[in-house]
Amino acid sequence: MSIRVAGLEFAYPKFSLRVEGIAFETAKVTAIVGPNGAGKTTFLKCLGAVLPIPKGALFIDGRDLAALKSRERARLVCYVPQEHDTTFNYTVSDFVLMGRAAYISPFALPSHEDAESAAEALEFVGLSGFADRAISELSSGERRLVLIARALAQQSAVLLMDEPTTFLDPKHETELFRLIRKLAVEKKKTILVTLHSLEMAVQHSDLMVFMKRGEVVAYGKSAEVFEDSLLERVYDMQMKIIDWEGRKFVLR
Amino acid sequence: MNGQNSRTKALAVFMLVLPLVLFFISLSIGTYGISPRGLFQAALSVVSPASHPEVPAAHRDILLRIRLPRVLLALAVGAALSVSGASLQALFKNPLVNEYILGISSGAAFGAALSLVFLGRAFPPQLAGFLFAAVAVGAVLLISGKAESHFISLLLTGIIVTAFFSALLSLVEFFASPYVLQALFFWLMGSLSLASWKDLYVSLPLIAAGLVVLYLLRWRLNVLSMSDEEARSLGVNVRREKILVIAATTLITAAATAIVGIIGWLGFIVPHLVRMMFGADNRRVVPLSAAMGASLMMIADDIIRGVSSFEIPIGIFTSLVGIPVFLILLKKTRKVWL
Repeated sequence: MSIRVAGLEFAYPKFSLRVEGIAFETAKVTAIVGPNGAGKTTFLKCLGAVLPIPKGALFIDGRDLAALKSRERARLVCYVPQEHDTTFNYTVSDFVLMGRAAYISPFALPSHEDAESAAEALEFVGLSGFADRAISELSSGERRLVLIARALAQQSAVLLMDEPTTFLDPKHETELFRLIRKLAVEKKKTILVTLHSLEMAVQHSDLMVFMKRGEVVAYGKSAEVFEDSLLERVYDMQMKIIDWEGRKFVLR
Repeated sequence: MNGQNSRTKALAVFMLVLPLVLFFISLSIGTYGISPRGLFQAALSVVSPASHPEVPAAHRDILLRIRLPRVLLALAVGAALSVSGASLQALFKNPLVNEYILGISSGAAFGAALSLVFLGRAFPPQLAGFLFAAVAVGAVLLISGKAESHFISLLLTGIIVTAFFSALLSLVEFFASPYVLQALFFWLMGSLSLASWKDLYVSLPLIAAGLVVLYLLRWRLNVLSMSDEEARSLGVNVRREKILVIAATTLITAAATAIVGIIGWLGFIVPHLVRMMFGADNRRVVPLSAAMGASLMMIADDIIRGVSSFEIPIGIFTSLVGIPVFLILLKKTRKVWL
């Protein structure tokens, strides 16, 4: 399912986001990078309509996101937050089941089918054995996977992941990107991730968006757009890209 | 794991049946001694007076006019305040929130007192109670802004609004005649002894309606207990559903407070205990809070009626027990919200 941005604006008191026309391709992984405060997360939240967006600014599969009802919107697009704050200690299965909210009337309980979708999602991320565990008992890597499982249970075509690899060790980081790739290939999800690590972004994404001060500076195929001059311009510092056995590293 | 599961299930069933058992036990407790057999016969004689001529009219009156409304009220109020607490805690993503902190109780108390003093007992105090409870909670939410994510600001606003409505209440007391004042004072401390069918006819349907709404929303409360951004992304119309939950909790709290006064802490402690025993899933927390709240309220009232010849208002009793429990839980849960 394609995403088309047709002039999106959002303003906080001391920051404003302004994105002109841009479109994201189906079943591809797009990495959004840029310095702190560039507006990556704000952009992602606008794309998920988690923040209020004006009508006519954002279309998924031709449908205006701002004109849709909450539950219709949630079936198209899902925002996966960086971390979940655990006030209440739900079990993993109860937590993943919440991904079905868009399919259940406010006054109804999840059906057997909903429970099955949740179990399937949990299996896809490899945490079937964790169903009865309490969220608070999980490591941050496992918790990240549970968040993704909940997003999967939501069955939206577009997944927006905010810094999915923060606090993860290299092994879990690699596994998470393998999972993200699997979602794009097997489930045909259109995936956007915000990332801090440029190396990870260029290695694991098909496309890259560079942001600076609330605007998109560059957008294109990762292999093509990733250049020294662009990095220097975006980050305001000297940077050098080194190729090593087909992988790119950034010296600074 | 399975053993533990079946034990938890058995405990849940026990908790759900308990209010029914306590209901009948509570009917047999009181200063005037009636044996269970005597009570049973009195109940039968209500249905067919002719077949039980030996039952004294006093027994029938005690059962019907004094004990039944009182026990029913204890049951309803216990369930109402506990479910209201559980729902508000989920909605505000904070286990320390309750109807008292949000100003609902003091708003309802002021409204009901105003109605009692100026409109008299003929006019149901529940209506003004609900109106001012809604004003109070609305004020708290508006003033504290996005307070649901800033508990301290919500708490401070709640304290201020509560203080404001307490001052208004004092003003009402100031203007009340000495005769009305005495009744008002007793009612404010939280008392079940004034239970009458007239009050129950209004409050019971309101409490039942609110409870049904919150019971139906019980799974949704899980989703609403996520951050607002998460809930929105999951497909919830956060604003609309929040208003619905707050309206239902305000309704049942006002309906309860208008006839029994302010009963603090029950709505805070019961959901906590339920979560400790049965986990956080509101599909269980809501009905089990109702059952446990109703049970605790009936037990508390039984103790009050059974132990001494004079009555301690139940509001004072629940606060004396509730505040130490609150402090213990506060210490335990500090990490979660600071």
